Amino acid sequence: MLRSCTLVLLLLGLTLPLAAQQVAPEVYTLENGMKFLLLPRDTQPNVIAVGWAARVGSVNERPGITGISHFFEHMMFKGTTTIGTSDADRDGMYIREQETVRSKLRATHLDQQYERWKRGEIADPWDQANDTPEMSDMRARLREIQESQKKVIRKNEFDEIYTRLGASGTNAFTSHDLTFYINNVPSNKLELWAWMESDRLQDSVFREFYQERDVVHEERRMRTESTPTGIYQEQFDAMFWQSSPYSWPVIGWTTDLNSYTREQAQDYFETYYSPNNLVGVIVGDFDFDEAYSLIDRYFGRLERGEEPPRVVTLEMPQLAEKRMNVECDCPPQVEVRYHAVPFGHRDEPALEVMAEILNGVTGRLRKSLIEEQRLATSARVIVDSRKYAGSVGFSGECQAGVDPEKLEEAWYGELEKIQSEPVSERELQKIKNQVLASSYRRLADNFSLMIQLGYYEALGDWEYINEFARQLTEVTSEDIQRVAGSYFDPSDRNVGIYRRKASGGGVAATDPLERFAPEPRAMVRQYLTFLPQMPLEQVEEMVRKMESQVAEAPPDFKIAIEFMIEKSRERLSAAEEEN
Amino acid sequence: MTALEVKKLLILLVLCFSPVVTADDLPIPSRPEELVFEELTFQPPNSADFRHLLDNGVVVFLLPDHELPLVDFSFRFTGGSYLDPTGKEGLGMLAGDLIRSGGSSSSDAESLDEAFDFLAANAGVSVGLNGSGASLNCLASNLEESFTLFIEMLRDPRFQTDRFDLLKSEIIEAMKQRNDSGDEILDREWKALIFGRDHAEAREQTLASIEGITDADLRWFHKTVFNPGNVVIGVTGDFEIDTMKTRLEEALDGWAAGNRCSAPPAPEAEFEPGVYHVEKDIPQGAIYIGARGVVRDHPDGTTLRVMNRILGGGGFTSRITNKVRTEEGLAYSAGSAMIPGVHYPGEFRAYVQSKSRTVALASKLILEEISRIREEPVSQEELDIAKNSIIGTFPRIFESKNTVRDLFVNEERYPRAPGFWKTYRDRVKVITPEDVQRVAREHLDPARMAIVIVGVWSEIAPGDLEGRAKMSDFFGGKVTELPLRDPLTQEPIGP
Repeated sequence: MLRSCTLVLLLLGLTLPLAAQQVAPEVYTLENGMKFLLLPRDTQPNVIAVGWAARVGSVNERPGITGISHFFEHMMFKGTTTIGTSDADRDGMYIREQETVRSKLRATHLDQQYERWKRGEIADPWDQANDTPEMSDMRARLREIQESQKKVIRKNEFDEIYTRLGASGTNAFTSHDLTFYINNVPSNKLELWAWMESDRLQDSVFREFYQERDVVHEERRMRTESTPTGIYQEQFDAMFWQSSPYSWPVIGWTTDLNSYTREQAQDYFETYYSPNNLVGVIVGDFDFDEAYSLIDRYFGRLERGEEPPRVVTLEMPQLAEKRMNVECDCPPQVEVRYHAVPFGHRDEPALEVMAEILNGVTGRLRKSLIEEQRLATSARVIVDSRKYAGSVGFSGECQAGVDPEKLEEAWYGELEKIQSEPVSERELQKIKNQVLASSYRRLADNFSLMIQLGYYEALGDWEYINEFARQLTEVTSEDIQRVAGSYFDPSDRNVGIYRRKASGGGVAATDPLERFAPEPRAMVRQYLTFLPQMPLEQVEEMVRKMESQVAEAPPDFKIAIEFMIEKSRERLSAAEEEN
Repeated sequence: MTALEVKKLLILLVLCFSPVVTADDLPIPSRPEELVFEELTFQPPNSADFRHLLDNGVVVFLLPDHELPLVDFSFRFTGGSYLDPTGKEGLGMLAGDLIRSGGSSSSDAESLDEAFDFLAANAGVSVGLNGSGASLNCLASNLEESFTLFIEMLRDPRFQTDRFDLLKSEIIEAMKQRNDSGDEILDREWKALIFGRDHAEAREQTLASIEGITDADLRWFHKTVFNPGNVVIGVTGDFEIDTMKTRLEEALDGWAAGNRCSAPPAPEAEFEPGVYHVEKDIPQGAIYIGARGVVRDHPDGTTLRVMNRILGGGGFTSRITNKVRTEEGLAYSAGSAMIPGVHYPGEFRAYVQSKSRTVALASKLILEEISRIREEPVSQEELDIAKNSIIGTFPRIFESKNTVRDLFVNEERYPRAPGFWKTYRDRVKVITPEDVQRVAREHLDPARMAIVIVGVWSEIAPGDLEGRAKMSDFFGGKVTELPLRDPLTQEPIGP
């Protein structure tokens, strides 16, 4: 096969922009400490992307209330004393009545049911099937109150108001480090956003608290428990993070989900949702004067709170390799994860560039593990830098018949290469070209730009959006070799090995070629592709050739050649029948 | 004068006559309904203003925008995987992937990939069910180099053998995962039921069909679909119109135009209404409830869209979400979708995922909502929310140069009635509760629907602990058990 040389020469004469494109929002901070990033842009007329982020996520939780940041995010859509009810007083009364019964029910679970469970009398202290008669009565009473409350609830009124006035994409998301509330509003309705958001920041009412808890249980079932690898990935995270609060899932442990109280949610609100812990972002078709005046009037009325407590517990150094062996309804795969650096760490850019050199269509992993060694169908390295700690991990799915351990070994081989040999100037330049191009591409959509700005600011500083791109373009070959040498210690490894479960349901079919080693398998597959089109004389000729060679072939190839002979004979006898 | 108007007037008076009042002192209205908004006027762009004919008759839409130094090309081709011959299922998809990854006449696959990556140019080729596409996003500073590589790849793909071989084995590995997730099984069985297993909507590639695809097949597909006779082109970004026209004319020069591909055949399958179930060990049942729908250009199309907004397509402002999620806490994901088809009637389906024991209850509540929207007129308030939302978000259909370009290109291939978008908001405005009820009655019939469920039947069938619903409540308790299918052959797996 001929490799093209002209192409490479052509590329050396390229002109590319010299520096990454800067993003420069106006920063506006209220006296109460709420910070706003404002970026008027007219490329997408008639619409404004708006959002605000709270600097709080599951990392701020503790055992007993894991998942409350995310649950809280759901509760923020339930309205206020103005929105969501036709009668705030009666609504409040029903909520208090429910709380009285709920706290009794909760105490019964934690005392009586937990005791029964400890003694081995029941399998699950939270399963309704194990309720005592007294508990059933409490539940009946709760249903009564909820029924009465329905009459004063305006269901989903918060969403209704936005929707009716042309807003779209009203939503929110929670991560380990932040909670972000987002939507798009028509360009004449920035005041609507300011009204709605400052209203819910001022007096959110957590109504339908317990129905929503069931919704989150279903969310957990959907996202974590009903996906092929969801629960195992959750376990892997819990194994990886030792002392860090990143060890629990954002959605929370099931027991904790069962036991949150309104009081805990209220506490959370008061601790973490003061304006001094929030950042607002506005990107799109608006002008500064209007924005300043609306921000002053609406968000200016929020009262500054105490500074939220700091996260104290750091991740303890890992002293020995940890492994997890999984069997599930999933393709054979492997993950190898190491501890790395938090967001903003000086080694983050070098780790990121190293990952880019390994990833992608022309990255090393694809070339080596997929195309040359034929071990993987996909492979990647992901740098995950969170606010207080970070990780870097390799993961890949196996080609047919390849053991995950073999792919794991091959990863160590790639790692050793990048540790021992400097990466080429060309590889480095390619990544830098891509960084420059994406510094423009990220400006193409206001909504995603709004989220990026809020994300950077919530984790540290929005200016990192520019700073990081600049640092990426300055990474040297030595930097990469240095980080490759310092963050991938074998004793810091966490290895997840996944194998397909031999399922009773009979998902047993296998690729008939699976029994061949990767190289002979490629040969067989290619032969089978041509076989149906081959003239019969040529098939006969092939059979003769293969028969003469089969005896001397290495064992791997021998069974493959025998298989090809068999298939060729089938073709010949089928042709005979047709005649 | 209503109370609201009085308040608006008062606000205006304060604005006009109190020079000492600064913006900060303005009262905050007690409810959002009292806010006064400036009128927003918006007229949708006219495709004719951007439409050009190349000298070979190919239609292009050119929407220059100099804000960012990027150029974005979209080539849309008529013809898709519905053209796959029987026994060669997967051909279109394979051909599309290999046009992109298999090199071109002058560059082998590795050099071509490397060149695109080094130029930071994103090139893509995709073959879908009823249409195919190729796209390029590159820096204006290397437009010449990037576009030359792109066009050569499109006109003259190499289909390099080792890449062909590698891609086949990747597809086969992916095929093995077909039964891993309940959602995927549900999607497949749903399509097979309502469109028929032999129709392109539901036809599945198998190990045998992928193994049997040859280089000649790839070249046939490429020649049939990827040619100027089938293409409409749209370009956005940093370029001048005249130079771009010349560039495109040169790029297409001498590229033989084939025949325009014929429209995909309409499905003929009919299904028996009833409950269908596939067994899969997951803690949550995945459910679709629905039937075939309408064509895109059906006269009831716009009213059906409004109807579905109210029923289950409007997120938290729709009935199914409100009932099943907010009120009962039975699901995280619940709603409905009206998906029209361009060439033949599409589908209507409601969806929900709920723990096994409440699958019956959630299904029952959804069916009750479908019946209710047929039997009673919707409230004026619900209708207003749906209509205002569609009208208020109308400009977002034309939000960016790329979305406008994609809309123009699509409608050049499948034209809508003249003035469709110009009059769209007016047609929404006049819809009445009676209209909504009429289209619901005409197009949604619970007695003619299928309920398809993937999950653990022994837990699903008895229903919820309180006895509000069980599976035998539906269709006289008749359940059709669908077998799980072998991921590589798609043959039923025996019990």
